[in-house]
Amino acid sequence: MGIVKASDVVYEYIRRDDEGNVEGITTAVDKVSLDIRQGEFIAILGHNGSGKSTLAKHINAILTPTEGTVWVDGMDTSEEDKLWNVRQTAGMVFQNPDNQIIGQVVEEDVGFGPENMGIPTKEIWERVEESLRAVGMYEFRKYSPNKLSGGQKQRVSIAGVLAMHPKCIVLDEPTAMLDPSGRKEVIRAVRGLNQVEGVTVILITHYMEEIIHADRVFVMDRGRIAMEGTPRQIFSQVEKLKELRLDVPQVTLLAYELKKRGVALPDGILTAEELADALSAYY
Amino acid sequence: MSIIVDHVNYIYGADTPLAVAALKDVCLQFPDGQFVGIIGHTGSGKSTLVQHLNGLLKATSGHIYFDGEDIYDKDYDMKKLRSRVGLVFQYPEHQLFEVDVFSDVCFGPKNLGLDKREAELRAYDALRRVGLPDELFYQSPFDLSGGQKRRAAIAGVLAMKPDVLILDEPTAGLDPKGRDEILHQIKQLQTQTGMTILLVSHSMEDVAEYVDRIIVMNKGSVLYDDEPRKVFRHYKELEEVGLAAPQVTYVLHKLKEKGMNVDVSATTIEEAADTVLQALGRR
Amino acid sequence: MLRDITLGQYYQTESVIHRLDPRVKLGGTLLFIISLFLFDHFAGYVVAVAFLGIVIRLSHVPFRFMVKGMKAIVFLLILTVTFNLFLTPGRELVSFWKLTITWEGLALAITMAVRLTILIIGSSVMTLTTTPNNLTDGMEKMLKPLKLFRIPVHEVAMMMSIALRFIPILLEETDKIMKAQLARGADFESGNIFKRAKAMVPLLVPLFVSAFHRANDLALAMESRCYRGGEGRTKMKPLVYQKRDGLAYLCIVLYLALSITAGRLVWMWI
Repeated sequence: MGIVKASDVVYEYIRRDDEGNVEGITTAVDKVSLDIRQGEFIAILGHNGSGKSTLAKHINAILTPTEGTVWVDGMDTSEEDKLWNVRQTAGMVFQNPDNQIIGQVVEEDVGFGPENMGIPTKEIWERVEESLRAVGMYEFRKYSPNKLSGGQKQRVSIAGVLAMHPKCIVLDEPTAMLDPSGRKEVIRAVRGLNQVEGVTVILITHYMEEIIHADRVFVMDRGRIAMEGTPRQIFSQVEKLKELRLDVPQVTLLAYELKKRGVALPDGILTAEELADALSAYY
Repeated sequence: MSIIVDHVNYIYGADTPLAVAALKDVCLQFPDGQFVGIIGHTGSGKSTLVQHLNGLLKATSGHIYFDGEDIYDKDYDMKKLRSRVGLVFQYPEHQLFEVDVFSDVCFGPKNLGLDKREAELRAYDALRRVGLPDELFYQSPFDLSGGQKRRAAIAGVLAMKPDVLILDEPTAGLDPKGRDEILHQIKQLQTQTGMTILLVSHSMEDVAEYVDRIIVMNKGSVLYDDEPRKVFRHYKELEEVGLAAPQVTYVLHKLKEKGMNVDVSATTIEEAADTVLQALGRR
Repeated sequence: MLRDITLGQYYQTESVIHRLDPRVKLGGTLLFIISLFLFDHFAGYVVAVAFLGIVIRLSHVPFRFMVKGMKAIVFLLILTVTFNLFLTPGRELVSFWKLTITWEGLALAITMAVRLTILIIGSSVMTLTTTPNNLTDGMEKMLKPLKLFRIPVHEVAMMMSIALRFIPILLEETDKIMKAQLARGADFESGNIFKRAKAMVPLLVPLFVSAFHRANDLALAMESRCYRGGEGRTKMKPLVYQKRDGLAYLCIVLYLALSITAGRLVWMWI
């Protein structure tokens, strides 16, 4: 069994009107199964309301499935006595950088998780230092979070999770509220986490260019997994992506357009370099 | 209803030791009916600039003329200026407060001193223009989806019937589908009403295909002010200030470097595909 | 505008007083305030002023910075002085219209004014030299015995420190919403008090909505980082008494003894 495994997970919630009467039932996650191996970089794509964030919250045991089971490192997330172990194993970074920083000083915020876990003081300091170094925020350790940019705040949040020594980090649209340079900063930190620290990463996003480096990609639509594969496999299905109302990068679109008009190009081109190389070979 | 910005400087916290020059000697002209993109990364001064245009911030030095009149004249009617230069803030849904969408949109026109009938007519018209379906008019604004809330908030400014509409990052936090829909709606609004629209964004790719003109802001100064294809010629310089030209620009420049005879000024996928095919055919 | 309001205005600098354990400063301030009401001889005030003067000197906080903070309470000071001046019975000093100032009133007014001024400056030394975070930490630890009476000391301290973290964010948000409503023609400044109160609705509703939203997000984030109350929690920066803290306590006790007996000492001298 992998680090995160879901089998036939269903999550339903009841919609109520103003008087509290049941209006209907919404199925946010519908029979999803996946198996993620230790050390993988997974991306989950989908537009708003596709169920991707709901699924993510299951991995951290913020939500538990209505039907089916989620295991994190072999622990069933529905078992209440495993709750804190699950949360320690699978950390979570949220969308809004302001609403997840608790400390008034960067280093104190990073220490918050270890403090909750009852780690001895000396070790907390060691963990805080290494985590801040891993995301390149060590120089800012004495800063007030209010003085940092959005990208820097998200890196602090990542360090805060990293200091709990999780095996897996789930990032729920960590870049949705950032500008392009902040987005790059965060994605770079996330990749470092995966490659240098060997942490399993589950990145939830709607930006296609952020998934280029993933090992595997899941595309969600209406609570189900609509596509699954390597980034290259996913990007080669331009029509289907458009149908799922996702944003296909311009390079991929251009390659697709050229192919349609009879230029023989390889499938699933991801970067400007690749396209230029392929075209000049043709030339 | 042209706006002229004449040597405007703005210093943040002018009488404190932490004074920062947010705008440096900015000179700009906005003629009637233009669709302008104002691009820059966070902290470039783009939001500060637009808040000057409707008098929310007052320049430390310099002048702003609206319709030929200096808005810093002693007896200038600021309230009237704010109704004629409508400003939609970033995350405008955070300003919704009324019990239903319709009353919320009426807030602006009522503040102008219009009678109930006229205010409601304008609200109705504005809601139609942003493409919000009728059945949502009497719902609580807090029950709408993210994209719908944003439309309602934009309608709230539109209902004041401004001559100039400024939107500060109207697509922030939306998914690709929501973003395309909003941008499309804004473009439609511009063609239908012929109003001047200023669109503030940090993404070149988003605005490139819609606007007539792009102003690039960097460190409080105007870096470029030209039509999109001419601005994108400086893609290397743009990169240096933390911005990026559309991806196709990169591909075309790379091809040109490799000796292919492509037209590097193409900005859309269609144009790029055309010029690449032409270059390939002319071999 | 709103950003000018600073809470617990900490003055960043290096000094012995800054480095003291917050518990020493809290306890010291409390004892200092009590002492002001214990002595009844002017010599006590001399000792108190001298002690305060030394502490201020050691704290490296400019005196004029402290006086600036006093401005806010000038009104309170005037009120107390006036009341004491006119409402104390005793031997008549001057009398006009229906008001009479007595010798006793004058003496009382002066002592009250002096007492209040020393009290306020004394407690501001604490807030000026202690970060809010440190202060909540100190309070949590000092008030720990109250847990026996089922008072959630840890939770209260956590709430205070979260509030301090979010005050700047919410102030900025207020500023933003205010501007957004101004752009929609809102008027926060004209009209009578009722009209103005009504004009606050478009500002307050969005602010509350946002605050609740943030609270919800924050609770989720805290839980996912394994927060489950104070039980079994360790501290990254635990409060540990140093040698200087012991010395400081000694100084405070010495001061207390000296200020209370000052009157008698002077009397014996004569």
